[in-house]
Amino acid sequence: MKLYDSFRSALQSLVTNKLRSALTMLGVIIGVASVIAMVAVGNGASQQVQNTVLSLGSNLITVTPGNLTDQGLRGAGEQAQTLKLDDMRSIQEQLGASIRAIEAEQGAGRWQVIGGGQNWNSIVNGVSEGYPDVRDWKLQSGEFFGESDVRLNVQVCVIGATTAQNLFGESDAVGQTIQLRQVFGSGPQARARILNFKVVGVLEPKGSTFGFSRDDQILVPVSTGQRVLTGRRDVVNAIVVKASSSEAMGDTTEDVRSILLQRHKIADPASADFTVTNQNDTLAALSAITGTFTLLLGAIGGISLLVGGIGIMNIMLVTVNERTREIGIRKAVGARRLDILQQFLIEAIALTGLGGILGITLGWTITEVIKRIPQANGLILIITIGTVAIAVGVSVGIGIIFGLYPAMRAARLHPIQALRYE
Amino acid sequence: MRTNAVVHLRKITKTYRIGKEIEVKALRGVDLDIVPGEFVAIMGPSGSGKSTMMNILGCLDVPDDGVYELAGQNVRALSDDRLAQLRNKHLGFVFQTFNLLPRLNAVENVELPLVYGGDRHARRERAIAALEQVGLGDRVHHRPSELSGGQQQRVAIARALLNDPSMILADEPTGNLDSRSSAEILAIFQRLNDSGKTVVMVTHEPDVASHCKRIVRMRDGVISADERVFTPRRAEEELLTGIGAGE
Repeated sequence: MKLYDSFRSALQSLVTNKLRSALTMLGVIIGVASVIAMVAVGNGASQQVQNTVLSLGSNLITVTPGNLTDQGLRGAGEQAQTLKLDDMRSIQEQLGASIRAIEAEQGAGRWQVIGGGQNWNSIVNGVSEGYPDVRDWKLQSGEFFGESDVRLNVQVCVIGATTAQNLFGESDAVGQTIQLRQVFGSGPQARARILNFKVVGVLEPKGSTFGFSRDDQILVPVSTGQRVLTGRRDVVNAIVVKASSSEAMGDTTEDVRSILLQRHKIADPASADFTVTNQNDTLAALSAITGTFTLLLGAIGGISLLVGGIGIMNIMLVTVNERTREIGIRKAVGARRLDILQQFLIEAIALTGLGGILGITLGWTITEVIKRIPQANGLILIITIGTVAIAVGVSVGIGIIFGLYPAMRAARLHPIQALRYE
Repeated sequence: MRTNAVVHLRKITKTYRIGKEIEVKALRGVDLDIVPGEFVAIMGPSGSGKSTMMNILGCLDVPDDGVYELAGQNVRALSDDRLAQLRNKHLGFVFQTFNLLPRLNAVENVELPLVYGGDRHARRERAIAALEQVGLGDRVHHRPSELSGGQQQRVAIARALLNDPSMILADEPTGNLDSRSSAEILAIFQRLNDSGKTVVMVTHEPDVASHCKRIVRMRDGVISADERVFTPRRAEEELLTGIGAGE
């Protein structure tokens, strides 16, 4: 029997029993749709996590003071003061062109800000001139401060888009001066420190990371921050290196580590007074978590697919029973076992295959609807070709697995008994 | 005789088991030769073994012992699939209950043997030609439920003819038909036989059997009589004169 005839016969049978075919297919449709939708949520979640991590800049190697391995979680980097601005300059000098960019940071906490006649409260961070390159962050106006500003402790600043909007509204912030204020004491004895900073640039808006807006901040040269804002001279909270490529990150990580070990005169890497974190490792760890999450969601969908498959087997057994005479007639006119097997197997595959296609459509519709719900704002849902291929493959596979037994029963029927069947 | 025989049976035995205890000896040593161009009726009361005989002749079942050669080919040693191919190439079946597929229309039913053997392209034309041969050229796209019993049986005959078989096997082909339809069916068989087709028909009605050229009578699993009919009744003449067969 030619495949063409089997397909025709299968479709004819499905059309003849419309309601039954539709109900049987429903199991597969729901199964496939739930696999598609759930895996889309899982994929979307892992993409979201990855986007968040990469929004801090890509291919980053971060050095923080203190050794997390021997101090455990208590060793919050803030306390340790083992990283210096000179460490950054030394890495910059030695690695040179083999890295894309480097910067050092020291947080200066929250300050009262006055500018453009407005009062505001914002986070102040001391950073070095490499910041925009390391963070892949462009300026919407003005320029970032340069190496000489850092060297000479100049009181200039670059402000975030939200900060600029709040202080200066629509007018250009570049060229304006802002005041940073800190009040000591209280009541009549209260005294305030007031520091003037000239705005040289405004950052592009970038949205929030892990729920914190990154567009409301003030960046000052790290050396200026050390001298006039924090008083913690020379010390930095972090040195961030941007490797030339994702592949180069392993090598660059080792280079950074050995330079610092040498500078800090530490022979045993295990007792290093700093910690080097590779962004790839962070991403790998996070994607392992989200991967498990996706797998779990897929498995839940898979269970409904399995239930649908059992429904297919059930209905195919009924079909074979109902059509015993037909099988007898076909055998009498010359159908071989394989012909009968093929006919019923293809009927099962047609059921699940069609159900699979409808399921993909339904799953896709569900994700499109979810994307349009305002409450799901920002939720990323991703349907990949891989997911679709797996869903189709699995549903056809279920047709084969659960259709095989009924088809084999049909093929094994004895022609005389089949012909006599009432 | 043996060399050109369509059917050559020697010492055929067949025993059925019903449950675990009861054995039914349906055939107890049957010898039979049928040559091309014969029109044979197999008669006998129920339990005489004629149905078993039909199944074995039709390669739907294999004998326990003995020799069966169909068109020169020994049937006993063949697998189920080889038997299916043999049925497809050498045999055409006509059943008492017509056995058409209800979901398929007339022409689709007729072309079924070619679905399992033969090429797809000439299939439709050959099926239509076969339907015309049995006088149903205007009922090609009707479903079995839209046809009378006699018409359904004619569709079944067209299906049996399609592969140009060595032998047509008819199992009580008029059993479910009124006398006029019966006469029509017998007329078709006689016409086919006139043109050289070998027809073997199982019946318990003497009137139907009297249209054949040879009557083989069975009793208790053996052939009890094998006689020539020198002047078979002509169904076509009976249709003209209004005397039905089987009355």
